[in-house]
Amino acid sequence: MRKQVGNTGIISTFKAGSLRLKLFPVPLGLAWKHCGITSDFLGDFYSARAVRGSVDANEIRHNVCYLVNEILENAVKFRTSGDIVIESSLENGNFRLCIANAISKEGALRFQDVLSGLQGRDPSELLIERIERNAADPNSTGSGLGLLTLMSDYGVQLGWDFQASSDAEGTVQLATYAVLPLP
Amino acid sequence: MEIKTSEYRIWVEDAVIHYEGTMRLSGTEAYQPIMAMMNDVLESQPEEITLDLVGLEFLNSSGINLLARFTIEVRKQKSIAIAVKGSTRIPWQSKSLPNLRKLHPTLQLNFV
Repeated sequence: MRKQVGNTGIISTFKAGSLRLKLFPVPLGLAWKHCGITSDFLGDFYSARAVRGSVDANEIRHNVCYLVNEILENAVKFRTSGDIVIESSLENGNFRLCIANAISKEGALRFQDVLSGLQGRDPSELLIERIERNAADPNSTGSGLGLLTLMSDYGVQLGWDFQASSDAEGTVQLATYAVLPLP
Repeated sequence: MEIKTSEYRIWVEDAVIHYEGTMRLSGTEAYQPIMAMMNDVLESQPEEITLDLVGLEFLNSSGINLLARFTIEVRKQKSIAIAVKGSTRIPWQSKSLPNLRKLHPTLQLNFV
Protein backbone atom coordinates (compact mmCIF):
# COMPACT_ATOMS: atom_id res chain seq x y z
CA MET A 1 0.00 0.00 0.00
CA ARG A 2 1.31 3.43 -0.89
CA LYS A 3 -0.23 6.76 0.02
CA GLN A 4 0.96 10.29 -0.70
CA VAL A 5 -0.38 13.29 1.18
CA GLY A 6 0.17 17.07 1.11
CA ASN A 7 2.09 18.70 -1.71
CA THR A 8 2.70 15.57 -3.79
CA GLY A 9 4.37 17.57 -6.58
CA ILE A 10 7.46 18.09 -4.45
CA ILE A 11 7.71 14.33 -3.91
CA SER A 12 7.82 13.39 -7.58
CA THR A 13 10.35 16.11 -8.43
CA PHE A 14 12.78 15.32 -5.60
CA LYS A 15 16.23 14.45 -6.90
CA ALA A 16 18.96 12.61 -5.05
CA GLY A 17 20.47 15.41 -3.08
CA SER A 18 23.93 16.83 -2.78
CA LEU A 19 24.23 15.50 0.73
CA ARG A 20 23.03 12.24 2.28
CA LEU A 21 23.31 11.41 5.96
CA LYS A 22 22.29 8.28 7.82
CA LEU A 23 21.62 8.22 11.55
CA PHE A 24 21.84 4.75 13.08
CA PRO A 25 19.51 3.88 15.97
CA VAL A 26 20.81 5.01 19.37
CA PRO A 27 19.04 5.55 22.73
CA LEU A 28 16.48 8.36 22.69
CA GLY A 29 18.46 10.86 24.80
CA LEU A 30 21.45 10.61 22.49
CA ALA A 31 19.25 10.62 19.36
CA TRP A 32 17.74 13.88 20.61
CA LYS A 33 21.21 15.45 20.84
CA HIS A 34 21.94 14.20 17.33
CA CYS A 35 18.89 16.14 16.07
CA GLY A 36 20.45 19.40 17.24
CA ILE A 37 23.94 18.58 16.00
CA THR A 38 22.67 17.43 12.58
CA SER A 39 20.43 20.45 12.05
CA ASP A 40 23.23 22.84 13.10
CA PHE A 41 25.55 21.09 10.64
CA LEU A 42 23.09 21.36 7.73
CA GLY A 43 22.44 25.02 8.59
CA ASP A 44 26.18 25.72 8.39
CA PHE A 45 26.62 23.56 5.29
CA TYR A 46 23.98 25.38 3.22
CA SER A 47 24.78 28.89 4.47
CA ALA A 48 28.39 28.50 3.32
CA ARG A 49 27.45 29.72 -0.18
CA ALA A 50 26.37 33.12 1.21
CA VAL A 51 28.84 35.78 2.33
CA ARG A 52 30.04 34.83 5.78
CA GLY A 53 28.41 36.90 8.50
CA SER A 54 25.87 38.50 6.09
CA VAL A 55 22.15 38.79 6.83
CA ASP A 56 21.41 36.12 4.22
CA ALA A 57 23.91 33.65 5.67
CA ASN A 58 22.35 34.11 9.10
CA GLU A 59 18.85 33.66 7.71
CA ILE A 60 19.73 30.57 5.64
CA ARG A 61 21.58 28.96 8.53
CA HIS A 62 18.70 29.50 10.91
CA ASN A 63 15.85 28.56 8.57
CA VAL A 64 17.52 25.35 7.38
CA CYS A 65 18.39 24.50 10.98
CA TYR A 66 14.80 25.04 12.22
CA LEU A 67 13.29 22.97 9.38
CA VAL A 68 15.70 20.03 9.74
CA ASN A 69 15.40 20.07 13.54
CA GLU A 70 11.59 19.91 13.53
CA ILE A 71 11.27 17.09 10.97
CA LEU A 72 14.12 15.18 12.60
CA GLU A 73 12.60 15.54 16.09
CA ASN A 74 9.43 13.90 14.72
CA ALA A 75 11.47 11.12 13.08
CA VAL A 76 13.29 10.41 16.36
CA LYS A 77 10.06 10.49 18.40
CA PHE A 78 8.02 8.22 16.16
CA ARG A 79 10.50 5.84 14.53
CA THR A 80 10.01 2.20 15.45
CA SER A 81 13.41 0.88 14.42
CA GLY A 82 16.07 1.25 11.78
CA ASP A 83 17.99 4.21 10.42
CA ILE A 84 16.90 7.74 9.68
CA VAL A 85 18.05 8.85 6.25
CA ILE A 86 18.39 12.56 5.50
CA GLU A 87 18.80 13.80 1.94
CA SER A 88 19.09 17.45 1.03
CA SER A 89 19.99 19.77 -1.80
CA LEU A 90 19.86 23.33 -2.99
CA GLU A 91 17.92 23.92 -6.19
CA ASN A 92 16.72 27.16 -7.81
CA GLY A 93 16.97 29.10 -4.56
CA ASN A 94 15.11 26.45 -2.59
CA PHE A 95 16.44 24.16 0.11
CA ARG A 96 15.02 20.67 -0.47
CA LEU A 97 14.88 18.01 2.19
CA CYS A 98 13.73 14.41 2.51
CA ILE A 99 13.82 12.58 5.85
CA ALA A 100 12.88 8.88 5.83
CA ASN A 101 12.28 6.48 8.70
CA ALA A 102 10.06 3.57 9.75
CA ILE A 103 6.97 4.11 11.90
CA SER A 104 4.30 1.75 13.24
CA LYS A 105 1.15 0.97 11.27
CA GLU A 106 -0.99 2.58 14.01
CA GLY A 107 1.31 5.63 14.07
CA ALA A 108 0.94 5.97 10.30
CA LEU A 109 -2.87 5.90 10.50
CA ARG A 110 -2.93 8.47 13.33
CA PHE A 111 -0.55 10.74 11.42
CA GLN A 112 -2.60 10.45 8.21
CA ASP A 113 -5.63 11.47 10.23
CA VAL A 114 -3.80 14.56 11.57
CA LEU A 115 -2.65 15.47 8.06
CA SER A 116 -6.13 15.17 6.57
CA GLY A 117 -7.25 17.81 9.09
CA LEU A 118 -4.68 20.24 7.62
CA GLN A 119 -5.77 19.96 3.99
CA GLY A 120 -7.29 23.05 2.46
CA ARG A 121 -6.96 25.14 5.63
CA ASP A 122 -4.92 28.30 6.24
CA PRO A 123 -1.83 27.18 8.22
CA SER A 124 -1.66 30.40 10.26
CA GLU A 125 -5.27 29.90 11.45
CA LEU A 126 -4.55 26.26 12.23
CA LEU A 127 -1.49 27.30 14.23
CA ILE A 128 -3.46 29.66 16.48
CA GLU A 129 -6.25 27.07 16.89
CA ARG A 130 -3.74 24.42 17.88
CA ILE A 131 -2.04 26.72 20.42
CA GLU A 132 -5.41 27.53 22.05
CA ARG A 133 -6.27 23.81 22.14
CA ASN A 134 -2.91 22.94 23.77
CA ALA A 135 -3.40 25.65 26.40
CA ALA A 136 -6.91 24.44 27.21
CA ASP A 137 -5.74 20.86 27.74
CA PRO A 138 -3.52 20.48 30.82
CA ASN A 139 -2.67 16.91 29.79
CA SER A 140 -1.39 17.71 26.30
CA THR A 141 2.14 16.36 25.94
CA GLY A 142 3.14 17.03 22.34
CA SER A 143 2.71 20.57 21.03
CA GLY A 144 2.00 19.58 17.40
CA LEU A 145 3.33 22.98 16.38
CA GLY A 146 6.36 21.84 14.37
CA LEU A 147 4.69 21.32 10.99
CA LEU A 148 2.30 24.25 11.52
CA THR A 149 5.06 26.77 12.31
CA LEU A 150 7.01 25.55 9.26
CA MET A 151 4.03 26.11 6.95
CA SER A 152 2.75 29.28 8.60
CA ASP A 153 5.92 31.15 9.61
CA TYR A 154 8.50 29.83 7.11
CA GLY A 155 6.42 29.23 3.95
CA VAL A 156 7.60 25.61 3.79
CA GLN A 157 5.79 23.22 1.43
CA LEU A 158 5.45 19.69 2.76
CA GLY A 159 4.57 16.30 1.31
CA TRP A 160 4.44 12.84 2.88
CA ASP A 161 4.95 9.43 1.33
CA PHE A 162 3.73 6.35 3.25
CA GLN A 163 4.86 2.96 1.99
CA ALA A 164 3.73 -0.20 3.80
CA SER A 165 6.47 -2.80 4.20
CA SER A 166 5.97 -6.54 3.94
CA ASP A 167 7.40 -7.40 7.37
CA ALA A 168 5.33 -9.19 10.04
CA GLU A 169 4.90 -6.07 12.20
CA GLY A 170 3.47 -4.14 9.28
CA THR A 171 5.75 -1.13 9.75
CA VAL A 172 5.37 1.77 7.37
CA GLN A 173 8.24 3.59 5.70
CA LEU A 174 7.53 7.32 5.97
CA ALA A 175 9.36 9.92 3.90
CA THR A 176 8.73 13.58 4.70
CA TYR A 177 9.57 16.00 1.88
CA ALA A 178 10.04 19.72 2.39
CA VAL A 179 10.83 22.72 0.20
CA LEU A 180 12.01 25.89 1.92
CA PRO A 181 12.39 29.09 -0.13
CA LEU A 182 15.67 30.82 0.74
CA PRO A 183 16.39 34.59 0.73
CA MET B 1 15.56 32.25 40.31
CA GLU B 2 17.70 30.65 37.61
CA ILE B 3 17.78 27.56 35.43
CA LYS B 4 21.12 26.95 33.79
CA THR B 5 22.56 24.21 31.57
CA SER B 6 25.48 24.14 29.13
CA GLU B 7 23.06 25.15 26.33
CA TYR B 8 20.76 27.74 27.87
CA ARG B 9 20.13 29.95 30.86
CA ILE B 10 16.88 31.47 32.13
CA TRP B 11 16.80 33.88 35.01
CA VAL B 12 14.41 36.34 36.62
CA GLU B 13 15.11 39.92 37.70
CA ASP B 14 12.05 41.59 39.25
CA ALA B 15 9.35 40.82 36.70
CA VAL B 16 11.72 40.42 33.75
CA ILE B 17 12.40 36.85 32.60
CA HIS B 18 15.61 36.59 30.58
CA TYR B 19 16.38 33.75 28.14
CA GLU B 20 19.76 33.01 26.64
CA GLY B 21 21.26 30.30 24.39
CA THR B 22 19.64 27.43 22.49
CA MET B 23 16.54 25.62 23.75
CA ARG B 24 15.56 22.33 22.07
CA LEU B 25 13.90 20.41 24.87
CA SER B 26 11.96 17.28 24.00
CA GLY B 27 8.38 18.38 24.70
CA THR B 28 5.86 20.01 27.02
CA GLU B 29 6.98 17.92 30.00
CA ALA B 30 10.66 18.77 29.53
CA TYR B 31 9.76 22.48 29.48
CA GLN B 32 7.73 22.15 32.70
CA PRO B 33 10.42 23.44 35.14
CA ILE B 34 10.76 26.56 32.99
CA MET B 35 6.97 27.01 32.85
CA ALA B 36 6.88 26.67 36.66
CA MET B 37 9.44 29.44 37.03
CA MET B 38 7.45 31.69 34.68
CA ASN B 39 4.23 30.94 36.59
CA ASP B 40 5.95 31.97 39.85
CA VAL B 41 6.53 35.41 38.34
CA LEU B 42 2.87 35.56 37.27
CA GLU B 43 1.70 34.58 40.77
CA SER B 44 3.67 37.46 42.29
CA GLN B 45 1.10 39.71 40.52
CA PRO B 46 3.40 42.36 39.02
CA GLU B 47 1.90 45.17 36.92
CA GLU B 48 3.85 44.03 33.89
CA ILE B 49 5.88 40.95 32.96
CA THR B 50 8.65 41.19 30.37
CA LEU B 51 10.02 38.23 28.43
CA ASP B 52 13.51 39.21 27.28
CA LEU B 53 14.40 36.90 24.36
CA VAL B 54 17.21 39.00 22.88
CA GLY B 55 19.82 36.35 23.77
CA LEU B 56 17.73 33.31 22.76
CA GLU B 57 19.34 32.20 19.50
CA PHE B 58 17.22 29.10 18.88
CA LEU B 59 13.91 27.76 20.17
CA ASN B 60 12.16 24.62 18.89
CA SER B 61 8.41 24.43 18.33
CA SER B 62 7.79 22.90 21.77
CA GLY B 63 9.47 25.99 23.20
CA ILE B 64 7.27 28.24 21.07
CA ASN B 65 4.33 26.37 22.59
CA LEU B 66 5.70 27.27 26.05
CA LEU B 67 5.75 31.01 25.22
CA ALA B 68 2.27 30.76 23.73
CA ARG B 69 0.84 28.93 26.75
CA PHE B 70 2.31 31.51 29.09
CA THR B 71 0.89 34.35 26.98
CA ILE B 72 -2.56 32.77 27.35
CA GLU B 73 -2.07 32.47 31.13
CA VAL B 74 -1.26 36.19 31.31
CA ARG B 75 -4.24 36.99 29.07
CA LYS B 76 -6.54 35.51 31.73
CA GLN B 77 -5.34 38.11 34.26
CA LYS B 78 -6.70 41.45 33.12
CA SER B 79 -4.57 43.51 35.57
CA ILE B 80 -1.20 42.17 34.35
CA ALA B 81 0.42 43.48 31.16
CA ILE B 82 2.99 41.58 29.13
CA ALA B 83 5.86 42.80 26.98
CA VAL B 84 8.12 40.68 24.77
CA LYS B 85 11.54 41.90 23.73
CA GLY B 86 13.06 40.25 20.66
CA SER B 87 15.98 40.70 18.31
CA THR B 88 15.74 41.40 14.57
CA ARG B 89 19.06 39.54 14.24
CA ILE B 90 17.47 36.22 15.22
CA PRO B 91 15.23 34.89 12.39
CA TRP B 92 12.84 32.68 14.44
CA GLN B 93 11.85 35.69 16.51
CA SER B 94 10.70 37.95 13.67
CA LYS B 95 8.91 34.94 12.10
CA SER B 96 7.14 33.41 15.10
CA LEU B 97 6.80 36.04 17.83
CA PRO B 98 4.03 37.98 16.02
CA ASN B 99 1.82 34.91 16.69
CA LEU B 100 1.82 35.89 20.37
CA ARG B 101 0.07 39.15 19.49
CA LYS B 102 -2.64 37.19 17.70
CA LEU B 103 -3.24 35.36 20.98
CA HIS B 104 -3.12 38.49 23.13
CA PRO B 105 -3.52 41.72 21.11
CA THR B 106 -2.42 44.07 23.94
CA LEU B 107 0.92 42.24 24.25
CA GLN B 108 3.74 44.71 23.55
CA LEU B 109 6.19 43.26 21.04
CA ASN B 110 9.43 45.20 20.66
CA PHE B 111 12.42 44.34 18.52
CA VAL B 112 15.90 45.70 19.10
